[in-house]
Amino acid sequence: MRKTIMFRSSLAGAALAALLLPAGPTPAAAGAAAGAKAGTTAASPVRDAEASPLVSTEWLEKNLDSGKLRVVEVSVDPGVYERGHIPGAHNVAWHTDLVETVSRDIAGPDKFAALARRLGIDRDTTVVLYGDNNNWFAAWGAWVFAQYGLVDTVKLLDGGRKKWEAEKRPLDTRTPEVAASAFAVTPASTALRARFTDVLAVARKERNEKILDIRSPDEFSGKIIAPAGVPELAVRAGHIPGSVNVPWGKAVNPDGTLKPVEELRKLYAEAGIDGSKPVITSCRIGERSSHSWFVLSRVLGYPARNYDGSWTEYGNAVGVPVVNLAGTVWGGK
Amino acid sequence: MTASAAVAAAVPAGAGFRVGVSLSLAGLLVGSAWHLSGEAGGGRLALSLVFGALFGFVLQRSRFCFLCVWRDLLDRGDPRGVLGILAALALGMAGYAVVFGAWLPDPSGTRLPPGAHIGPVGPVLALAGLAFGAGMAVSGSCLSAHLYRLGEGSATAPFALLGSALGFVLGFLTWNPLYLAGIAEAPVTWLPRHLGYAGSLIAGLAVLGGAALWLLRRPLPAAPPPAVADPWRAVFVARWPTWLGGLAVGAIGTLSYLRLGPLGVTAEIGGRSRQGAAALGLLPERLEGLDAFRGCATALGDALLTPNGLFVGGLVVASFAAALAAGQFRPARPGRGHVLRGLLGGVLLGWGAMTGLGCSIGTLVSGIMAGALSGWVFGIAMLAGITGTLGLSRRLGWLA
Repeated sequence: MRKTIMFRSSLAGAALAALLLPAGPTPAAAGAAAGAKAGTTAASPVRDAEASPLVSTEWLEKNLDSGKLRVVEVSVDPGVYERGHIPGAHNVAWHTDLVETVSRDIAGPDKFAALARRLGIDRDTTVVLYGDNNNWFAAWGAWVFAQYGLVDTVKLLDGGRKKWEAEKRPLDTRTPEVAASAFAVTPASTALRARFTDVLAVARKERNEKILDIRSPDEFSGKIIAPAGVPELAVRAGHIPGSVNVPWGKAVNPDGTLKPVEELRKLYAEAGIDGSKPVITSCRIGERSSHSWFVLSRVLGYPARNYDGSWTEYGNAVGVPVVNLAGTVWGGK
Repeated sequence: MTASAAVAAAVPAGAGFRVGVSLSLAGLLVGSAWHLSGEAGGGRLALSLVFGALFGFVLQRSRFCFLCVWRDLLDRGDPRGVLGILAALALGMAGYAVVFGAWLPDPSGTRLPPGAHIGPVGPVLALAGLAFGAGMAVSGSCLSAHLYRLGEGSATAPFALLGSALGFVLGFLTWNPLYLAGIAEAPVTWLPRHLGYAGSLIAGLAVLGGAALWLLRRPLPAAPPPAVADPWRAVFVARWPTWLGGLAVGAIGTLSYLRLGPLGVTAEIGGRSRQGAAALGLLPERLEGLDAFRGCATALGDALLTPNGLFVGGLVVASFAAALAAGQFRPARPGRGHVLRGLLGGVLLGWGAMTGLGCSIGTLVSGIMAGALSGWVFGIAMLAGITGTLGLSRRLGWLA
């Protein structure tokens, strides 16, 4: 079984490489040139190009010494970074650096600015985020960075930590030191974040937007309230009325890289999401949905917002409409 | 001359068979590690097995047993064993500081170094240390020593380990009230945060050095047996001086922290006890705050093979192989005393290790190496527990 998966992933990787190679610039020298060529069409980004939201492992390894590049690991597992990370990468803890630890919110303006300064990030610094678990929290990081205006300069390492390791690329255990930047404190933009009232308006058909629920089909239908091994933090099962279900993993190849743009476009079009209407991505706590937010917003260029309250907020709210196909009753039948 | 031939020539008759079995076991360990490292994601498991085997070999060869060395000091005034433990702590402290400096250059923030055993400090921790020390005095050694003695054929060790599983379950049952009364708000004190790495290391080494000087204030009792000239016998048959074992433990502790996590031997015992008790419906619905603490974590997934399980397995097999080769495998038929003392002491060991989030290895050794105040508090309470229990029971004529 394991062998089959590995075989399939290497096949998929090879196929992806074949797809990308003709368009993929040879790193360093070609990066800027290709960026100029492909940079104008946000709808069909080329990986590794300057305007692309994704960089390949190969590009990253060749550009690690670039002065205006910051590599930042955002992993779920503590201790993963310290025991070996991409050389020169900095560590960001999602549960302390990117959020407020007492109230439920993303890091406030002062906290975020302090983080950016510590990492030596200016507005023209290229930031490559990566992490374990298919870049889940790296994508969450990209979403938080975007709210503070760091959008086009922030990229994800395609395939994340998993692909870097699978390709036997080097790891380092030393922590880099950089000069602090003078990143200014700015308020967070509200344009990329959906709030409870926004979602409720869509559920009540008062607003014509799409909700993309990226949880597993069993969570979506209400058979279960949370994935196996994860605490049930909502007291109701089901989903927000009017939402469609495309599990996040469908956007990913077995080697962790994102699928080609055309396939992604088709995948979401089949669920009625084609970029013509604004989309709200949602999951259980807003983490996995950041991954789909990144695909829709940054890779496909669709107008998308992430609802970080997600099911743990909506599924606990009193008096809101819910679709519960499975009829699961919280607390027993 | 091959290794086996040399050892066989050096030890008495019947040794050829024993050495053969030992070499087969060593081969089994190497083969298992080799096999695991080839599996997807098996590198960590393979390394755990290797470190466990090295640790077991070192423990058996140097008889690295906290109770024995403390008793040597109390009863015979011989500080050599305790000096070995001080050597382990000093080397590990320096090793950890080197690793910490690379991973977390500035210790003054809010973050703790990943995985390091830095636990909450309060009266409950002291109580856990006392119980653990009492369990050591009653059962004849601490948990890591019971594990390596299992490999030597000890009659008490199996019962002590069984008792410790029961003790863990008792610990889970008393956890919630203790947590609410004295653990939830107990400070988690990491000395480098307050003193810096250099300050913490200097202070720690000063305490260890001061203790060593105090122990050496009088001439050592009876000289140790003369050094063995034959290197095969020196390594595989004769008892290593404890300072050598201590330095090896310090090195293994540092390397294990660098690559896997702090040394500890109770995560697997605790985790399996927790699984079993949960399956029998004995556990509270929730163990408040337990899984958020550093220490020998007892939260288990569904995996059959865990890093700590392989570490402990490697420890037992390697100590068995080492004992066999040295002619120190002496299985004994357990008498009623073995069973009773093993079970009773084991329960105390298990309860102490659960409540203290680790034992003399996980909380004391790995904690002190990491600059955790919890390691020192557990250690002092443990020594008090041993001393008090030995004194009291000798007065009552219960223990030899």
